[in-house]
Amino acid sequence: MATLRDIKSRIKGVTNTQQITKAMKMVSAARLRRAQENIINARPYSRKIAEVLSNLIAIEKGSANPLFEEREVESIAIVVVTSDRGLCGSFNMNVIRSVEELINEKYDHLKSNGKLSLYCVGKKGVDHFKKRDYKLTGSYPGIFSDLNFEFASTLTTELKQKFLNREYDKVIVVYNEFKSVIQQVTIHKQILPISRFESESNEHLEQLKTVDFIFEPDKKSIIDSLLPRHLKAQVWTSLLDSYAAELGARMTAMDMATENAKEMIRTLNILYNKERQAAITTEISEIVSGANALKDA
Amino acid sequence: MKELSLEVITPSKKAYEGSIKSITLPGTLGSFQVLFNHAPILSSIEIGEITIIDSDGKEKHYSVGGGTVEVLKNKVLVLAESFETPEEIDIRRAEEAKKRAEERLKAHKSDCDLDRAEVALKRAINRIKVSRKYS
Repeated sequence: MATLRDIKSRIKGVTNTQQITKAMKMVSAARLRRAQENIINARPYSRKIAEVLSNLIAIEKGSANPLFEEREVESIAIVVVTSDRGLCGSFNMNVIRSVEELINEKYDHLKSNGKLSLYCVGKKGVDHFKKRDYKLTGSYPGIFSDLNFEFASTLTTELKQKFLNREYDKVIVVYNEFKSVIQQVTIHKQILPISRFESESNEHLEQLKTVDFIFEPDKKSIIDSLLPRHLKAQVWTSLLDSYAAELGARMTAMDMATENAKEMIRTLNILYNKERQAAITTEISEIVSGANALKDA
Repeated sequence: MKELSLEVITPSKKAYEGSIKSITLPGTLGSFQVLFNHAPILSSIEIGEITIIDSDGKEKHYSVGGGTVEVLKNKVLVLAESFETPEEIDIRRAEEAKKRAEERLKAHKSDCDLDRAEVALKRAINRIKVSRKYS
């Protein structure tokens, strides 16, 4: 049976934890707002590039860029985007499990002959896959504290080069997409080879067709220079998405932890009061029976 | 008013929005200036320097990290990997990047590393140049 002092110290402990989780929730909420802004700011760039690109490709028929080349998949690179820090619920496990399932289902043979390379962005993914028998070609822990476009750019350039050198036949990014604060969806995004663009008719396409544009140096060169930028934008937005999703997940997890702590404190308080009353009752009955014994004597 | 509207978009934000009198860009085939009623053009741009004359006639300079520009009906749309004023440039970071790139070029491991180092070096040198020139 727990003594009164034991219960009291537990209540104190849980209250401390609750304060921490509450603070972490607030910090995540503040960071999340900034992360969401970053996503919103990054969207016009990637959208515009995709638009210009798809329209150019639509008018420049037969633009064969090696980045489009679909090959038999004999080697693959998977970019795993996780978080640097924990305490965000099942956020990292979702990505890791999804990657492992994908490998088990489709690429087990590539894994066993060393043709499967992993690029882990975020400390949690690195920690997980380092301990297991995976080929970790790139590990990038601790990038989310100072997330910049240059990182996305360097990583993408490396992947692109290796794709062009036929070291990889396919590159996939697995990350958590930010749907809403309480909802994250694990996404597999194929970035290489670039899948064909949907060329839907839009105003811009019409203008390109009808207006007498000057293309400098020429259409093909512009497409060739835009494609790597498009790739970078894809990777960049995945990273931003994952970061916002991480903060959202942490916020929810910490909110739940705070709620749980509150519930725990409530039950502990009830227990404490019960014990206290029991102790008082015992004491009183002891005094009364003691007094009675004296009176009888 | 013979003015163009300009929009500069980078991966991290909308870096410039407003009406201008002219803009000079580092095109792939050489630097060119866009004035009112410029012919429609779609061009790739290199790492270099952008000069804008805004509606008050003030000259503004920026370093740019490559991208594309589209001019249509007096609307200029620049998609650039980076776009910074001389004040925004972190000169120490650029110096460091330059040193790193030079070291990598000296070490020359593989072709892919060389290409990357070269681009990084170009970017760093451009940032340093623009920052020195205008601040």
